[in-house]
Amino acid sequence: MAGDPTARDEPTGEDAIESQPPPRMNPAVRRRSTATLDDGVLRFVLASVAMGWRWLVRMRTALILLGVLGLMTAIATAVPQAPNVPGTVESWLAGDEGPGAGVSEFLWTIGAFDVYGSPAFLALLLALFLSLTACLIPRIRAWVRLVRHSQPPLLRFETGAPLASFEVDAERDDVLDAGESLLREGHWRVRTSRPDDAVTPQVVGEKGLWSREGGSLVFHLSFYVLLAAIVFGQLVSFEGQRGVIEGEPGFADTEVSYWTYRPGRWFDGADHAGWRMDLEQFHVDWIRDPLAPGAGQPTTFASDVVVTPADGGDPVRATVEGNRPLVVDGMKIHQLDWGYAPLVEIVVDGQVVHSAFLTTVADEDGAFRGAAKAPAADPDVGLELELFPFAPDGDDGWPRLTGAPWDEAPLLVYHQWRGDLQLERTQQLITELDTDALDAAGVGFLRPGQEAQLAGVTVRFVELRRWVGFQVSTRPQIPWLLVGSALLVLGLVPALYAYRRRLWIVAHPGGGTGRTLVRIHGRSFQRADAFDEECGTFARALEERLARPRSRSGAGAVSSTEA
Amino acid sequence: MNDQLAEISRFLYSPVTVALYFAAAFTYLVALTTTVGRRESSVRGRRAQQVGAVLAMAGVGGHVAHEIVRGLAQSRFPLGNMFEVTSLMALVGVAGGVGYLQFVRRRGELNGFVLLAGGLLMAFAGLMYAEPGPLMPILDTWWRHFHVSLLVGAMGVFAAGFVFNTLYLLRERADRRLEAHHRVPVASGGGVDLGASEARAVGGLEDHEDDLPDAPGSVATADRSTFGLQRRGTSVLWLTVGTFVGTGLVSWVFIVSASDVTWGVARFLGINLAMVAAALVARWFVPFLPSADTLDGLAHRTIVFAFVIWTVGTIAGAMWAEQSWGRFWGWDPKETGAFLTWIAYAGYLHARATRGVRGRRAAWIGVGAFFTLMATYLIANYVIVGFHSYAGI
Ligand code: HEM
Repeated sequence: MAGDPTARDEPTGEDAIESQPPPRMNPAVRRRSTATLDDGVLRFVLASVAMGWRWLVRMRTALILLGVLGLMTAIATAVPQAPNVPGTVESWLAGDEGPGAGVSEFLWTIGAFDVYGSPAFLALLLALFLSLTACLIPRIRAWVRLVRHSQPPLLRFETGAPLASFEVDAERDDVLDAGESLLREGHWRVRTSRPDDAVTPQVVGEKGLWSREGGSLVFHLSFYVLLAAIVFGQLVSFEGQRGVIEGEPGFADTEVSYWTYRPGRWFDGADHAGWRMDLEQFHVDWIRDPLAPGAGQPTTFASDVVVTPADGGDPVRATVEGNRPLVVDGMKIHQLDWGYAPLVEIVVDGQVVHSAFLTTVADEDGAFRGAAKAPAADPDVGLELELFPFAPDGDDGWPRLTGAPWDEAPLLVYHQWRGDLQLERTQQLITELDTDALDAAGVGFLRPGQEAQLAGVTVRFVELRRWVGFQVSTRPQIPWLLVGSALLVLGLVPALYAYRRRLWIVAHPGGGTGRTLVRIHGRSFQRADAFDEECGTFARALEERLARPRSRSGAGAVSSTEA
Repeated sequence: MNDQLAEISRFLYSPVTVALYFAAAFTYLVALTTTVGRRESSVRGRRAQQVGAVLAMAGVGGHVAHEIVRGLAQSRFPLGNMFEVTSLMALVGVAGGVGYLQFVRRRGELNGFVLLAGGLLMAFAGLMYAEPGPLMPILDTWWRHFHVSLLVGAMGVFAAGFVFNTLYLLRERADRRLEAHHRVPVASGGGVDLGASEARAVGGLEDHEDDLPDAPGSVATADRSTFGLQRRGTSVLWLTVGTFVGTGLVSWVFIVSASDVTWGVARFLGINLAMVAAALVARWFVPFLPSADTLDGLAHRTIVFAFVIWTVGTIAGAMWAEQSWGRFWGWDPKETGAFLTWIAYAGYLHARATRGVRGRRAAWIGVGAFFTLMATYLIANYVIVGFHSYAGI
């Protein structure tokens, strides 16, 4: 980049607007040359570093890096991401879904299933922030120089047509004084010509000097705040999930009570608040009229809960709704998921081998799926369960499955298995059986309160309740993220909307008549349209402030004043 | 009662709004053809422009009425599904674009292109039409309304920016063609190094519209014999194939997501051919367009505005996610899409500020950014359904 004279102090030299190169958006950046050492290796290293640095500083590099970031994000949009949808990733890898096992294998090697956790992304992030730093350091220095020392240049030759000119009955000095005070009132940076400047007496104002570039710097610097907040969050945040059945004992906020437990690296057991939460009742409803608009859509999700503080204080009743999390001791409790929870008893040889509420999860067809595992029996008993909440009896006396989610006529269908459940040996969800070592032993269906016997095993569907999946989280990084976001927006607006411009008020003596010819010249570095209006307003204000003008000649042809 | 309101709102959408937009676009474009070659537009042209303005106002009025009636019919703000989002995006794009051109830039003769885009977008919304209905409670929060409204508004403005960018590219090609032919510069220079009218330090107290180098009458296009030459700047074949393939990069979503292949292919072809037709209309109008600099400046200013709105809207989305799901950012397809679009437009802004890239290449990046926007919007809604899925798609 060549030096840009508009950025530095320009005492008086060649500063007529016509003699300047076109202004650029950014102040010039001074660079030192490095390779002056004689020592071969050191010199090579330094030169390489300098070259790398120069490459990083270039705007084009930033553009390329942004392009790569875009590309990676595009991959993350198109390819399922393991942290979000591990199931889909597995079926891609198995070749059941997606482009086939071979392609998936390749995608796996390049880390496309976890773009934001891949080393390539880390490297890109590093390059982006290096480039950003390399770009910002000289920009900040140039900006500080600009803000502290810059003086608008005087106008030496009035070659272009003025933006406005008018004659007034006022002394030259009065005109300049009025112009200066008007500029100062408008918060312009002002400079007045001195007698030894060898220019026509004039006042110069400059504005938008630091706000545009300053805004851009704040905007880019906010990325550091955001990055720091995100890293901080990775370390100290906590997120855990736990299902609770209506009316049954809930859970306490401790390390062991969560079903999924994702603590940050610096979050340990001592950071838990230790309160206890129980679910009294869960309310859910839908638009049940099949002809109403939006039929089948849910209308209510709300959990009535009781929270008992860790210090044994009085229990507090509260309601958690979809969009209204409950905050307890700085931890947010969200209601994320729900399902039906049938109480299922399994009796083998007169002995109850299983008696518990089972959590079932809705699938796409409107059935709620779950599993019962009874290792106490010998051999093990396993049940695969499908609960159909609304399956009224049809005219033929057989249940009719509707797919509706309200529990007006629940029906529990179960597949019975015997053999080895392989608990502890294989990874299993609580809602699924591992049937590898099990033998099918029949199918039955039950209404609440009924029991059935299949191959010597009695299964009882005692009652139906609901369960709710709660998420508990602490995210101390959020205030910092808000600060970063605020800086980002507050910097972005001036970076895009502020504009740097200069205004010259030149006063020519009217040849002994006591009148003064005022000419206003201007130049804007950005947003010529907004500047036009501003100039017009300014000229009118100046004219009004000075003595009553006798004549006025508007600007004639206005053309570009660029060199 | 609600059924009647639903009926009325559908009628106000189509045919009323769609037809009025297309009619207004047509009238404005006809008016544009009469403004070239004269310093003053002809009486006929001015009258046509007035008719266009009336039609456009009627169209916007019909559109607003449609939104209100639809809102009443379902007793909620109409921003709950893809149809409503697209329709509001068109409304913001048309009202904002026309208002900006008419009152801020005083270039009302270009309204036709904005209205044409608005009409196409409204017709496109018809593919996603859903009857009025209630909203899932999880979606009914203040942050979500704020977030969706901002993003939808930004999408509308980005769409206007896309129109200006493509017109700029057409015009710029035409200028190069003409220049190669005459071996003299055609349009006002200056934009080559600094990009757009940004750098031009012109100004005046009076209304100097006629003296601005980019006033339509003053460009060296007065000679009707050069029209063909300018139009040939972009060949029909190239434009047709390019538009078809470019649109196809986004509209394949409609084949993939259709339950029945014929219907999917029909929608795909319908969208692609409509875009090709629009591109050919724009090509025919190249000689009547303002200078490349003006169009580039229009594109930049619109995109800058939309970028700020998009930024705030995305942050609002993170707030909503934190409130509703207890995680502010989870890289779900919509979030990733919003981020990708943001990066793409940041790329455009950087390109505009990078020497050697600004101008034509920056405009292409801008076009690519709009494709990113549309592709992520459609893919995230139709192909991958994440947390954010709208009700009643
Ligand atoms: C690799 C890191 C980056 C570098 C080195 C960089 C550098 C720059 C520079 C030098 C400018 C000033 C352009 C000018 O006004 O002449 C700029 C402007 C800007 N940058 Fe960045 N940037 C980086 C990353 C980003 C990112 C990630 C974003 C956001 C998505 C972003 C958004 C912007 C915006 C909106 C502007 C204002 C453009 C304008 O003035 O028209 N930048 N950047």
